[in-house]
Amino acid sequence: MAEYKLDCLYEACPIPLLKALKQLEKMAIGEVLILHTDHNCSIKNVVEWTKKQGHYIDYVEISEGEWEIYIEKAK
Amino acid sequence: MRIYEKVIKKPWPYWVGGILLALLNISLLLATGSPWSITTGLLYWAAAIMERLGFRPADWYYFNNSYEYGLKAGQGFLFNTYTVLNIAIIIGALIAVLWAKEFKWKRVKNIKQFLFALGGGIIMGYGTRLSFGCNIGAYFSAIPSFSLHGWVFAAFMFVGAWIGSKILFKYIL
Amino acid sequence: MTSSRIEELKRQRQTELKKRGNQLPYAIAATAAALVIYFALVKYNMSFSYYWIIGILLGITMQRSRFCFSASFRDPIMVGSTSLLKAIIMALFISSIGFFIIQYRAYLMNPSHQLKQIPGQLHPMGIHTAIGAILFGIGMVIAGGCASGVLVRIGEGYIMQVMVLIGFLIGTTIGARHFEFWDRILISKAPIVYLPHHIGYFPALLLQLLLLVILYFIADWYDKKNNIMSTM
Repeated sequence: MAEYKLDCLYEACPIPLLKALKQLEKMAIGEVLILHTDHNCSIKNVVEWTKKQGHYIDYVEISEGEWEIYIEKAK
Repeated sequence: MRIYEKVIKKPWPYWVGGILLALLNISLLLATGSPWSITTGLLYWAAAIMERLGFRPADWYYFNNSYEYGLKAGQGFLFNTYTVLNIAIIIGALIAVLWAKEFKWKRVKNIKQFLFALGGGIIMGYGTRLSFGCNIGAYFSAIPSFSLHGWVFAAFMFVGAWIGSKILFKYIL
Repeated sequence: MTSSRIEELKRQRQTELKKRGNQLPYAIAATAAALVIYFALVKYNMSFSYYWIIGILLGITMQRSRFCFSASFRDPIMVGSTSLLKAIIMALFISSIGFFIIQYRAYLMNPSHQLKQIPGQLHPMGIHTAIGAILFGIGMVIAGGCASGVLVRIGEGYIMQVMVLIGFLIGTTIGARHFEFWDRILISKAPIVYLPHHIGYFPALLLQLLLLVILYFIADWYDKKNNIMSTM
């Protein structure tokens, strides 16, 4: 199962969400997208949107104000 | 520790934010007689810079008409209630982000981001002078004031946001 | 909602994390400074002290709830999500009631009041409002934040938003310089429409609350309808 990385450092809303959305469309079910971001809003709006779509999602804060968001495509 | 996680670390739900903002806006109107607004204060900052550059913004038509945008007695372009409120919002956000241990300096990514930031700011700034405020003064505080211009602003801001989204999809993403 | 695979990735990542610095001393220092300023203002300038403390609370609330006025208008269009818009409609509902009480009290104390004496944001409504709103809408989407969002994000450490603020100052200065022109052709002919003066105080309140409730349900329905992956 492949993993995809997406670098969204220094990007502001809504770019991280839109990039994730675009990438997810290309992926197959079961593949994981790792979104690297330092935008405080991403851990809210990306998470909310992904849950609404029914994918698996969680995130880890990897250093101050930097997160890795993991999304597993579920459908 | 669980309270720390819930209150300081994890983002609050949007509706909690909405209710608190509404209560704060009502408190502000009650305490000071004027509701939340931002952009007049930003114009005052610009006017303060113009003053330093040798212009005389206080004589401009904008500050001398029946809409009462001139300075109140005892206040300057730099030192006034708007400045206090705007600086306080920046400091408040800073305090919140520091308690969550999530502060990080975020540099400008590239020249494209820089140009869109600057350009977007200019368009926004120009618009606020026409509409008597931004989406705080001409929307978030105007609709509850029962002034119809708030609703007009809301409707046409949607049109603007739609055009902006098209531009964003085409050139930025 | 998480999966075993994500849990595994998280565990792996957490073991290799470097030791983190601590921002709490700065947090305590910033909070202390804000309080010192507050008490100084209480002593020397009561009116400023209200603006200061409410501003601090506004900033904290916006940062903590990730509130974003521009996203509330952008997200329904871009990704079909209206949770922020619903929160704002809720906020408008509450503040309408609060503002109404304050305005009605002012009216009872001075029934022969003029428009200028009404507490709130009352301004002329007309074509200029529409032009300004469209420009503002375009600007906030491409700049990635509106006026309040820019202030909050500067507090979060975004240099990019400082650029937006600089742009804003330039734009608003040009706008103020052109104000005489717009005033002559549009604004001076536009009326201030204060609903309670046209249909009465209580009908205005009821009408507005009803409208907000309807909008809330439309937004809710729209959010559910857009539960499919959509791209423009």
